[in-house]
Amino acid sequence: MKKSAIPSFAWKNITESRLFFPLVALSLILLFDFIFIPGFFAIENREGNLHGSLIDIFRNGSTVMLLAIGMTLVIATGGVDLSVGATMAIAASMAGILMNPSALKNEVFFVTDPYYTFQPLWVVIVAALIVALICGLWNVVLVAYMRIQPMVATLILMISGRGIAQLITNGLRVQITYRPYAFLGQGWIVLPFSLYIVAIVLTITWIMTRKTAIGMFIESVGINFRSSFFSGIDEKKIKLLVYTFCGFCAGIAGLVASSNVRTSDANNIGLTTELDAILAVVIGGTSMSGGRFSLLASIVGALVMQAITQSMYAIGVPAFALQAIKAVVVIFVILLFSEQVRGFARGLTAQKKEV
Amino acid sequence: MLQQISNFFSKNRNFIPLMSTAVLALAAYGIGAYFFVGMRNPQVFFNLFRNSSFLLISGIGMTFVILTGGIDLSVSGVVALTTVASAVLLREGWNPWSVILLMLAMGMTLGAIMGSFIVYLKVQPFIATLAGMWFARGMCFFISDNVVAIDDHIFQILGKTKILIPGLTELAALQGNPAPYISIPVIVAFTLLIVVIYVAHYTRFGRTVYAIGGNEGRNEQSARLMGLPVNRTKMLVYTFNGFCSALAGLSFSLFVASGHGLYASGFELDVIASVVIGGTMLSGGSGYVFGTFFGVLVLAVTQALIQFIGTLSSWWTKIVIGILTLIFIGVQTILANRKSGRQGTQTTQELLVVRRKRQRLALGLGTIVVLAVVAILSASQFGWFSFAETPAAAQCVIKPFREEEAASLIKDGAVIVYNRTAGPLCVDELFAIYPDGRVLGNDGVNKVEKQVDPAEVEQNLAKIVGEYKWFTGAIYGEYLTPCRQCFAHYVSISYEGQEKIVSQVDGTASMPLGYTLTLAVIRSMLPEINPAP
Amino acid sequence: MSESDQDILVMEGISKTFPGVQALDNVSLTLKRGEILCLVGENGAGKSTLMKVLTGVDRPDSGRIILDGKEIHTRSPQHAQSLGISTVYQEINLCPNLTVAENILLGHEPHKMGRIDWVKMNDLAGETLQGLLGVDIDVTKLLGSYTVAIQQMVAIARALDIASARILILDEPTSSLDVHETEQLFKVMKKLKNEGVGIIFITHFIGQVYENSDRITVLRNGKLVGTYDTASITRVELIGKMIGRSLAELDEMTKIKLESSKHIRREALLQARELGLAGSIRPFNLELHAGEVVGLAGLLGSGRTETASILFGVEKPDTGTIVFDGDVVQDYSPLGSITRGVALCPEDRKAAGIVDDLTVRENIILAMQASKGWFKYLSLREQYEIAEKYIKLLNIATPSADQPVKNLSGGNQQKVILARWLATNPQVLILDEPTRGIDVGTKAEIQKLVLSLAEEGKACVFISSELEEVLRTSHRIVVLREREKVAEFVGEVDENTIIHAIAGSEA
Repeated sequence: MKKSAIPSFAWKNITESRLFFPLVALSLILLFDFIFIPGFFAIENREGNLHGSLIDIFRNGSTVMLLAIGMTLVIATGGVDLSVGATMAIAASMAGILMNPSALKNEVFFVTDPYYTFQPLWVVIVAALIVALICGLWNVVLVAYMRIQPMVATLILMISGRGIAQLITNGLRVQITYRPYAFLGQGWIVLPFSLYIVAIVLTITWIMTRKTAIGMFIESVGINFRSSFFSGIDEKKIKLLVYTFCGFCAGIAGLVASSNVRTSDANNIGLTTELDAILAVVIGGTSMSGGRFSLLASIVGALVMQAITQSMYAIGVPAFALQAIKAVVVIFVILLFSEQVRGFARGLTAQKKEV
Repeated sequence: MLQQISNFFSKNRNFIPLMSTAVLALAAYGIGAYFFVGMRNPQVFFNLFRNSSFLLISGIGMTFVILTGGIDLSVSGVVALTTVASAVLLREGWNPWSVILLMLAMGMTLGAIMGSFIVYLKVQPFIATLAGMWFARGMCFFISDNVVAIDDHIFQILGKTKILIPGLTELAALQGNPAPYISIPVIVAFTLLIVVIYVAHYTRFGRTVYAIGGNEGRNEQSARLMGLPVNRTKMLVYTFNGFCSALAGLSFSLFVASGHGLYASGFELDVIASVVIGGTMLSGGSGYVFGTFFGVLVLAVTQALIQFIGTLSSWWTKIVIGILTLIFIGVQTILANRKSGRQGTQTTQELLVVRRKRQRLALGLGTIVVLAVVAILSASQFGWFSFAETPAAAQCVIKPFREEEAASLIKDGAVIVYNRTAGPLCVDELFAIYPDGRVLGNDGVNKVEKQVDPAEVEQNLAKIVGEYKWFTGAIYGEYLTPCRQCFAHYVSISYEGQEKIVSQVDGTASMPLGYTLTLAVIRSMLPEINPAP
Repeated sequence: MSESDQDILVMEGISKTFPGVQALDNVSLTLKRGEILCLVGENGAGKSTLMKVLTGVDRPDSGRIILDGKEIHTRSPQHAQSLGISTVYQEINLCPNLTVAENILLGHEPHKMGRIDWVKMNDLAGETLQGLLGVDIDVTKLLGSYTVAIQQMVAIARALDIASARILILDEPTSSLDVHETEQLFKVMKKLKNEGVGIIFITHFIGQVYENSDRITVLRNGKLVGTYDTASITRVELIGKMIGRSLAELDEMTKIKLESSKHIRREALLQARELGLAGSIRPFNLELHAGEVVGLAGLLGSGRTETASILFGVEKPDTGTIVFDGDVVQDYSPLGSITRGVALCPEDRKAAGIVDDLTVRENIILAMQASKGWFKYLSLREQYEIAEKYIKLLNIATPSADQPVKNLSGGNQQKVILARWLATNPQVLILDEPTRGIDVGTKAEIQKLVLSLAEEGKACVFISSELEEVLRTSHRIVVLREREKVAEFVGEVDENTIIHAIAGSEA
């Protein structure tokens, strides 16, 4: 045993095993693209901005990446948040209605000026994020204080959240015409703007979890909350942080998504994205029962999902078939992780695993 | 007295969720019947069952899955796949009974595949069944892109047969009402319910199902050590649920007489909600199949009530279901915690403390809800949304539907009249297509005229009426989110004496496929007045 | 050859290696019909591994198992069960959400006309419990509504009922039972023995070994030390075989204690005044002095753990106060206690102690970090320093500080927990059953450590079910009975007096 010096080799081990599989998966997909899809890796420079299929993967995947960041923390505490899609819709509705509240009155008019907004952009964003935070708060009260199972508790918001989003916009789909808002999802500064948003959120989260004790506490609570309790860790506060933060990330994702489609469609925004986010986290190696997590691995997981989608489109696979193919690929990746397959590989050294 | 009640409850604690659901369902219906005369018609009551037979069938299978502590998200996909596959097979001329058997076999196979992933490859049920759903839905579109109608004779019979209820027929005749009836799927659902209840309580398989779930997953380990065939049972449970999903899909296709890959969207949530509201805990191990029956009833009554109220849009259903699910889960959790508090490391004292805490936090929760609702409502009422400041330059006003003009055009002999309003430039285009190939259009300012081949008009009209089923309930029965800032479409079709107007449809993704195709076909014949931006 | 006719089970030359560890090295064991064989050894000796091999949980690398003359290869616990080898574990492996009758008979339940005959099943279950075990309960109630002791009886009933067990393995069955329930268990064991069932009884209570067994098999470090007739080996000899050390070390402890009593301060560091919690512990007074070890003695259920919990703040009292260092305590919570300088090493190592996926380092600094809050994160270098310090101090056997704690043996896990609490530098250290399920060697280490902590000026509370330990380690002994403090003894006192105080009868 070494003295004092931090065994840096040990760190590499951990990172390696966490990121290894998702990166392998991603590289396999990109390899496939490289071989079978001509021009997939082409990056062109339009007026100083980079465009291309590869860039599109990042851009279109930003929503799922944002969700995956928040979701990783929730899953690490042993929970899950099924309501992120609904939260996205609620945040988007809030944003939409604040930019054009005409939907609330029954006279309708159409906004033609791309620089018109009823409330300034910062109010719109802040209000949408606050509403998303409230959604997260709602979830945490159910999970941590009323001790309802997370899957069940967040299911409730998942079912009723879209109804609430409708409530906000009085049952209508609000068109978003405000140009600066559209920049969120569609703007470019060399790279797509949404990428910067993801990077900022990722950095903040990384600092929050690894440069403070929060990350370790999250893992501890996820592995064994009773032991953590005895050690003085307040599980409720951790969950409060984690679910609210997940709601916050979902709010940002909602803003980005709605700026992409230019509407706040309560029915369709974020539909099935919660499932994509959970899968991204799982591909990233975080166990659904909680414990050790890696933000970067989840991001890679989200990219894997998006890369599959993008590659399929590029080949010309029609949208509907995509779902089926996603299913097959996901199962394949999951199997890579499954204990059985790993055990089989280990079994080659003739050690029987504990039952 | 209170002591007696609480004693009774402690003895039969397991029944409380079930009883409360039953009470809720019946009470809700009773209240509805009080306020709405229409609900007093016994047929409305029986329609509850007719409309939700597929939900019940699926719920029965799902109950078993959840009892083992698992979950199955694939049900909606399998239902959709069943509708599409059976529709297409019937269209190809297959024997309807073989189709039914094949569909059931298909459902069982899918269930078995997912089951084996869950049991032998140890994939989480959530993920495995999620993949199953994607796969099933994807398969739908491999088979067919469009809505496929079912007009097979046997299926029609199965779907439309009215089964009269003995005893009530005469009663109704006395009152001068038509005899109340239920349908074959309802009978199937009830039979399945009885069989499954028997299996759950009188067979080893059923008891093993209960043994596997609950206790935060430790039961499964215990059941294995007890020598129970855990793996086989779980496989069977998922296979059975596949069977139920397929059966529900068949029921559904009988109901809507068609098949499409977009059907049953979100269905799995309704199924899970019914099971939960019916008293089965999502962690498994406790709950009754009979409870699911009441859970389904609650959902059906809720929907009926909202329809009767009329002014509330259907998205309120989702909110109500969500709240109900919450309440039931809350009750379940409290009861479960009390039970588990008897043994293990929690003392009775901790329980009292926990209960106090829970009350305090329910209060906190309520406060958050109230605050949120107040915030939203006030925001919408107060100056925040007042309109005095909207600059006129930023807006344009949407013109209303030119109804009378359209009607007169139809009288004149037009077969298709299409009015498109709103959009980013607030257009107002009215087109009329005549059987001789003339297409006239104006936007209140400019006029256009175009001549198309009359054969084309006839062909498209035939398509609209025949293939896209313009004059059936398939158009327009679908829930949509009105946009009012998107294009609004008003389409009037006149064909062999029939006339039908579908007005104020806006939005895109939520339109029934037939409608979208109709629009596309119409617009392919139109000249342009104002090109879209 | 009547000897081998009597052998119902022969395990020959069993070896088993796990990555990095030779768990069993050429171990042999024989079990005769109608005998109770005690399997003893410290943790890591290989007892559980041997049983896992027998019941099919693990496959041995070499060796064979002969059951009733025929060689067998068990594939799984179910398979073992079908061969007649049944196990009753310490954790109840039944389904609390099913009824007692179901738990006993499910898998072999009586059928009538193709469906389960509930009436017959309930009757049969009742008969088994009553006849075999002398337990009379309502078999239609859910298993979960009964105490652990009853659940264990049900587990035994199932084991007997299924495939008429020829061999019954009881793995530490009495850890959650009280004296009366343990008596009942032993009665049942003797009854079964008389009916020809071979019983393998694993326990670490030496007293129980002598009370029940016919022969004793001793394992140490994966090897077989020997098998002895109980009647012909003394306790002293037995312990010697188990730990392979002289008892001089154990004697030394008494010397240490006498010396350190000089360090006890007069003023109380912590005072519990009329502290109580309804349903948990009756209001009691207790004073803890720096430099003193207070032992809590009493039976299971007497309120020792509850006392510890309430002193540490896991439970909030509803009467009374705690005065710590002159101030009345306001903030009852583990975190509050840690910041004040009170630490509790809890009874349940697995559920309330270790965080198994975290590394040794993380486990050790966990409570300390919690007391610093979220934002004052200890730097990695500091963390490693602290971890290394305690690994050395407590002699924790681990390849490195980055080893996940779940890979350590029970005794070393306990040391990690202890390290965690020591790292918080507490003034009061409460240890609830710190030596449970640990080999004798480590036990002695821990007891010595407690005394040396007292010497350093800490106030310690030592809770243990083994009276010997409490006597050896405490300066003052508090006796609890039925959730109430009933007596307090200072200085030299003999076992009998304490036992009487615990039992509640007059001396």
